Amino acid sequence: MKAVAAKLRQHFDWVLFGAMVVLGILGVVNLYSATSSTSMTLARQQVYGLGLGMVAFLGITAMDYRIYNRLAYLLYMFGLLCLVLVLVLGKSVNGAQRWLDLGPVGFQPSEPMKVLMIIALAKYLHDDPVVEGRSLKHIAIPFLVVGLPVLLILRQPDLGTAMIFCLIFLSVMLLTKLKLRSIITLFLVTVLSLPLTWSYLLKDYQKQRIVIFLNPGSDPSGAGWHARQSQYAIGSGKALGKGYMEGTQNQLHFLPERWTDFPFAVWAEEWGFVGSAALLGIYLFIILWAVRLGSQARDRFGAVLCVGVASLFFWHTVINIGMVTGLLPVVGVTLPLMSYGRSSLITMMSGVGLLMNVAIRKSSF
Amino acid sequence: MNPHGEIPEFRRRYRYLVGVVGISFFVLLVRLCQMQVVHGDEYLRKSEDNFVQELRIATVRGVILDRNGRELATNLPSHDVYVIPRFSSPAVLERLAEELALTPDRAAAMKQTIQQCSGQRRWRPQLVARDITRDQLARLETNRADLDGVSIASRPHRNFVHGNLAAHILGYMNEVSADDLSRDRSRSYVPGDMIGRAGVERLYESHLRGVPGRRRVVVDARGRQKQGAEAAELLRGETRVEPKPGQNLVLTIDLEVQRLVERALRNYPAAAAVVLEVNTGRVLASASKPSFDPNLLTGRLSPDEARRMVQDPYRPLLDKVHREHYFPGSTYKVIPAIAALEEGLVDPEEKVLCKGWHSFGRRNFRCSHSHGKVNLRRAIVESCNVYFYTLAERVGMDTMARYAHMFGLGAPTGIGINGEVGGFIPTKEWYARRKQPFRIGFTLNAAIGQGNTKATPIQLASLYATIANGGALYLPQLVERIETLNHVVVQQFQPRIRRQLSIHPRTWTLIRDALRGVVNEEKGTGYSARPEQLSVSGKTGTAQVSRRARKGQTIWLQDHSWFAAYAPSDHPQIAVAVLIEHGGRAAKVAAPVAMEIIGAYFRYVAPRPASPVPGAPDVIAETAGEPATKRRSGSTGSR
Repeated sequence: MKAVAAKLRQHFDWVLFGAMVVLGILGVVNLYSATSSTSMTLARQQVYGLGLGMVAFLGITAMDYRIYNRLAYLLYMFGLLCLVLVLVLGKSVNGAQRWLDLGPVGFQPSEPMKVLMIIALAKYLHDDPVVEGRSLKHIAIPFLVVGLPVLLILRQPDLGTAMIFCLIFLSVMLLTKLKLRSIITLFLVTVLSLPLTWSYLLKDYQKQRIVIFLNPGSDPSGAGWHARQSQYAIGSGKALGKGYMEGTQNQLHFLPERWTDFPFAVWAEEWGFVGSAALLGIYLFIILWAVRLGSQARDRFGAVLCVGVASLFFWHTVINIGMVTGLLPVVGVTLPLMSYGRSSLITMMSGVGLLMNVAIRKSSF
Repeated sequence: MNPHGEIPEFRRRYRYLVGVVGISFFVLLVRLCQMQVVHGDEYLRKSEDNFVQELRIATVRGVILDRNGRELATNLPSHDVYVIPRFSSPAVLERLAEELALTPDRAAAMKQTIQQCSGQRRWRPQLVARDITRDQLARLETNRADLDGVSIASRPHRNFVHGNLAAHILGYMNEVSADDLSRDRSRSYVPGDMIGRAGVERLYESHLRGVPGRRRVVVDARGRQKQGAEAAELLRGETRVEPKPGQNLVLTIDLEVQRLVERALRNYPAAAAVVLEVNTGRVLASASKPSFDPNLLTGRLSPDEARRMVQDPYRPLLDKVHREHYFPGSTYKVIPAIAALEEGLVDPEEKVLCKGWHSFGRRNFRCSHSHGKVNLRRAIVESCNVYFYTLAERVGMDTMARYAHMFGLGAPTGIGINGEVGGFIPTKEWYARRKQPFRIGFTLNAAIGQGNTKATPIQLASLYATIANGGALYLPQLVERIETLNHVVVQQFQPRIRRQLSIHPRTWTLIRDALRGVVNEEKGTGYSARPEQLSVSGKTGTAQVSRRARKGQTIWLQDHSWFAAYAPSDHPQIAVAVLIEHGGRAAKVAAPVAMEIIGAYFRYVAPRPASPVPGAPDVIAETAGEPATKRRSGSTGSR
């Protein structure tokens, strides 16, 4: 037992841990500025969320990740069950049913489901070591593993989260060799489903956002408001920023949803290009570090876990920042560890927990 | 399985992943550089310049008038001055102090509050002067350009013209709570709005309030409005939605009657009185004591004062006319009397010997004193309990309850104000549900308005009005009509009869004669308080309070004192119910108060030409002449 503890200490990845903690702290600092003029409770809630995330992180790190290999499908089924429960018992917020009410706290099962899906995918690819190119038949099961939660999440409806699931799936499948024919088929399916998505799945407000993204001048005072205000905030920060708690866009409440979807705009306004580039650097570091850990992992399961978590961070970061800088349409995707929200924090820190687990056990013992 | 053998399959692909990640982040970095470094100045200018804000245009709340058009609640404009510390400077504050002509002390205090603001508070408007004069307002308006960060918020403030008068009927207002906001489906309230909390202010909130308008303006980051072509471009489409002003409320309350009622209650700390028009059910006055100043509750009530009001043992916030019920005591005796007569269970001339008590089983039920041999009429006039104990045994609890319900007891009258309570009339079934063995003693107590019988003052006034008008149970009415701002009638509320009772004329004659005797005969319990030159009919009630043995609390040993009456006896116009909490004997306390109200009403108010009542039903005269057929039993028509 003692030997195990010593091993844990010896191989603990302090660099990765440090990057996570720094982001968490910056998130609280930023959130304090974003919300202090209205209510102090959000920043405090975020600190509690970080505490819970830390518990999840330590818990996941402590056990050998191969246990997750054994329990992968069980965990996955549990996650699916929660998603079904949300549809049956969930709480409606702003017309979408995404929350499970657990007494005093709400919980969004679609968030941790991201990690559970990564584990399940890793398990499948681990158990099915096909070396030659995979045909469509070979990716049917992973496709199902992703498809079920995506369908349930689309029912909520939460398009942004469903999209993240698909992107993580594609990123992980990039690791494996696919037959050219499968790639073409997948591509065609995607292209054909786009018009169907437009007419059946997208809500009016989502269509509106896309139209505005393509033609930003069409409605400056209405639905384009979010995108425009966040771009004003970021741009007006200039090279060095306006200083902490001094962002006019933020403090005068011109930025909507500044604690969940737009923390980057708050940050960029107050800390300027220097600050936003530094923040971008931390995210880049975590993602590359995760990919590197994947390449060093002792088995397929660990490698896929690392790549899955890396893609989770990558897509969240790129889509969120792309959205607030006007490169992408406005979709509700959080910025890892910076956005307000307990479910999101716990998910991201659990992901880092998986990375840490693989890191500690990459040299066999 | 060979774990290490699988990695090479992946190894080449990691390079692709790193490439994709690198390119994506590079794109983001370039975009940020372009926005923040290259075009930073442009964005900064835009962020300071162009914002579209939607402002609300406040509406004027409707006023509340008495039945003769005299103002009870109006609006006064109040202008408050705010400063946003971040945008002001010492020079601005100096100038502001000068324009407001503040004393050096107050100017210094203002500067200190503004300078002490730190952190996010510097962004919030700070109140520096409340309710400034028109003169000060004009000076600030003309010097607006020099007063950066200074803003004036003007809002109409509710003014209850007569202070405490009719406070419970008018109610009061205060700021909407988070709860109200979450319940507000139409999203027409915003934090800081006032909302009616009690009385008609609450009941008619939607009519009084009106609908706020909206105006879209372009403001810069400092909140100053912008004009010009650029602003116009941002403001395409509808920029203004006009507000709808609130509607005026004309009450049935008569200011003068209300005044004289509250004056009549002057000597008692906790009391309630209500005056009804017998032939319309309209409420002329409704007073509950102690009262409160709605202006105080609508403005700033300090936590200390609020606590004092809530903890006051006399309960000033409680509307005792509608929201509290009491044992009706002997005022209730008309119910068993009418029940017995209608069901043919008693001969009016039959006499009962009152020795001052009535034994039943092991218990003795007391009377005030020994009345000797009394018949029904004398039992009412002299309020003999023993007679009613014997009567109750014959009539039974459920028959009494049926008649009580017919007269509107045991259920809310429907006046709808201040969460009206319904009182309570016990039945055998109720006792059965309580798993308490039913004892005939309950019936005896119920007959004299004790036990579990409870009634509100408005119910008793309504009961006596119904006796006075010959069986028309009216819906008590507080609001006569709703008008627009310019006094065009929107809705007129006609008197409504809830139920027309068919009671035999002979019963009416007998009961009315007895009630007249209570006040006009030497042995009557109300005789000592009778007014001159006016014939009043009524009934005293002294309700025992069973709250004596409560540990560690103020113990009130005095009984509640009731008087319920109508006048004049022959052609009744008004009905009155007076309750003095812990007043003691009715004849000495409640009766004189009621007589003062009635006397003053007929001396000062009634001679005035009455306002015509459109569509009011005729006075329901006694339907005399109907042959005295056998009494109907059972379903004595209650519709």
